[in-house]
Amino acid sequence: MSIYRLPKITFWRTVVAVIFAAGLYAAYARFFLGFQQSTNLADAQPWGLWVGLGTLCGVGISAGGFAIAAAVYLLGFERYRQVVRAAVLLSFLGYLSVIVGMMYELGLPWRIWHPIVMWNRRSVLFEVSWCVMLYSTVLALEFSPSLVERVPWVRLRKLYLKWHHHILIGLVMVGAILSSLHQSFLGGLYLLAKGKLDPLWYSQYLPTLFYLSAVPAGLAATIMAVFLCNRSLNARVDYDVLAEMSQIIAPLLYVYAVLRGVDLFTHGAASYLWLWREETLLFWLEIGLFVIAPVILLSRSRVRHNPQALYFTCSLVVMGFMANRLNVAITAFQKSSGLYYVPKWTEFALNIATVTAAVVAFHYAVVYLEILPKNPPPKKWLVPDTAATA
Amino acid sequence: MPRTRAILIDITKCIGCLSCERACKETHGFPQDPEPALSPTAYTVVEERGDRYVRRLCMNCQDPACASACLVGALKKTELGPVTYESSKCIGCRYCIVACPFNVPRYEWSKLVPFVKKCDMCYARQVKGQPPACVEACPVQASISGWRDEILEEAQKRVLLDPKYVRHIYGSEEVGGTSVFFISDVPFEKLGFATVPSQPMPILTANALGDIPTVVLVGGGLLAGLYWITNRRKQVALAEGQELTPNAHERE
Repeated sequence: MSIYRLPKITFWRTVVAVIFAAGLYAAYARFFLGFQQSTNLADAQPWGLWVGLGTLCGVGISAGGFAIAAAVYLLGFERYRQVVRAAVLLSFLGYLSVIVGMMYELGLPWRIWHPIVMWNRRSVLFEVSWCVMLYSTVLALEFSPSLVERVPWVRLRKLYLKWHHHILIGLVMVGAILSSLHQSFLGGLYLLAKGKLDPLWYSQYLPTLFYLSAVPAGLAATIMAVFLCNRSLNARVDYDVLAEMSQIIAPLLYVYAVLRGVDLFTHGAASYLWLWREETLLFWLEIGLFVIAPVILLSRSRVRHNPQALYFTCSLVVMGFMANRLNVAITAFQKSSGLYYVPKWTEFALNIATVTAAVVAFHYAVVYLEILPKNPPPKKWLVPDTAATA
Repeated sequence: MPRTRAILIDITKCIGCLSCERACKETHGFPQDPEPALSPTAYTVVEERGDRYVRRLCMNCQDPACASACLVGALKKTELGPVTYESSKCIGCRYCIVACPFNVPRYEWSKLVPFVKKCDMCYARQVKGQPPACVEACPVQASISGWRDEILEEAQKRVLLDPKYVRHIYGSEEVGGTSVFFISDVPFEKLGFATVPSQPMPILTANALGDIPTVVLVGGGLLAGLYWITNRRKQVALAEGQELTPNAHERE
């Protein structure tokens, strides 16, 4: 088995290669030709897909890590312990992808460290940047045992793991607070856009709404990831655990929907709900995917206990969540900006390549590290060559 | 607040000669070609609205949204009044452009090392006691500059004494007050002026930011309390000799 062989050309590997090639060209366009050649951004729409998809969705979908870590370590939901590492890894890679995204989103990325020394406590973005820096560190520390376990020096390994054990609870608490703060502050960023943001999305409760929507989206993404690992990567997580997790999603969505609805009616945006216009259609797409369909589907035990159906439902939640963030970042600005912004293909290419890199990293981590409980490996001498593809 | 500088633009007096645009470009070393809208090389432009000329430039707000948005504090309200931009701090996040209620800041989208560009009321000149270049160039005194309180008084006098004026000074109340004022004989909405909140924009985020200590204290206390309960229950269970769920991942 130790003989080196060239990687096989499979369908998914081809797809990944094409995505990376496109991403590479897009990176070239961004850094050597500039924003104008690589994006459709303009002064009327200074934040577009990279902020909407890369940052807002990236951070939001990574909310599963803190929620599950808190559930296991602080609230004692021991059954979720088998997925806590996967959830933390998913969040960690999510945050890494956001930080990588910053490198092409920022106009002057080599100054990304400026907020560490140049402070403006009145800026929501300042708070977001500090929370993201600190929380990424927390996630790296939370995840680190999976790597340290592989260190061959026993004493160092033991020392680290012992030390880690002592600080773990503190890490989880700090992580939960930092996450809660910046998940909401991402919504808080748009508070300043009063008068620019469409009434269907502008609200003084944007921070709360962002927080309440990120948690179910993060849980749904974690369920999806674990399902895929079970299906394709030989992981062995009890599907009942996923079903149980999904039971938390529906009430969270319900709370979100109630707050959103009450808010829309109290600030007088109700009249916009039935207008025949693109914004309203996209609003209903968002609500349908994120709230209505999942709440109905998740109320059925047949859906919750059928892994395939559960996976599909969770993908609706994630898609609906993404629709919400993209609506806030792009759709809601359309009318006030007077600009019909459609991202250039290079914008999509860079975002998709970044996310793909995170997915590939997740895949190999699950294969080579102890992230999820696995089925016992099949006896080696019985494995035919064709089954050895990862 | 100490006395600050301000500009008053009287739309009834403007003849659309574009002297201000040219003076602005000259003082900043930009190419002289006239531009239709604000750009990285046009900090002020004169736009035709019907038979009136409306000059656009940064309003240099008293409590600017851009300065509160800027995470590294590159944008700053100076003691003298102008809102300045320190390009050496900027990281290019463009939140200022999102935040500005008047859509003024421009980004150098075509450059590989792009910066934010906007009028700063000729801060460098004003420090030396000179008026902004655009004001100095105006042949008919449609733009005048001076101390903010005096300029505001002058605007009030004109609006009150001459019935042709709309009885509002644009910039006196908008977003809590600005350093650039407009008076006009045509309603401001008809001239394309932005309808903006009357309180300073940073108030919108100040409340959310003020919640941080509460979230940290209440959240931290709550989590610590919950952990204490969880831990206590575990210990009680142990003491009672009950079995705990085996932990697949825990290893020492």
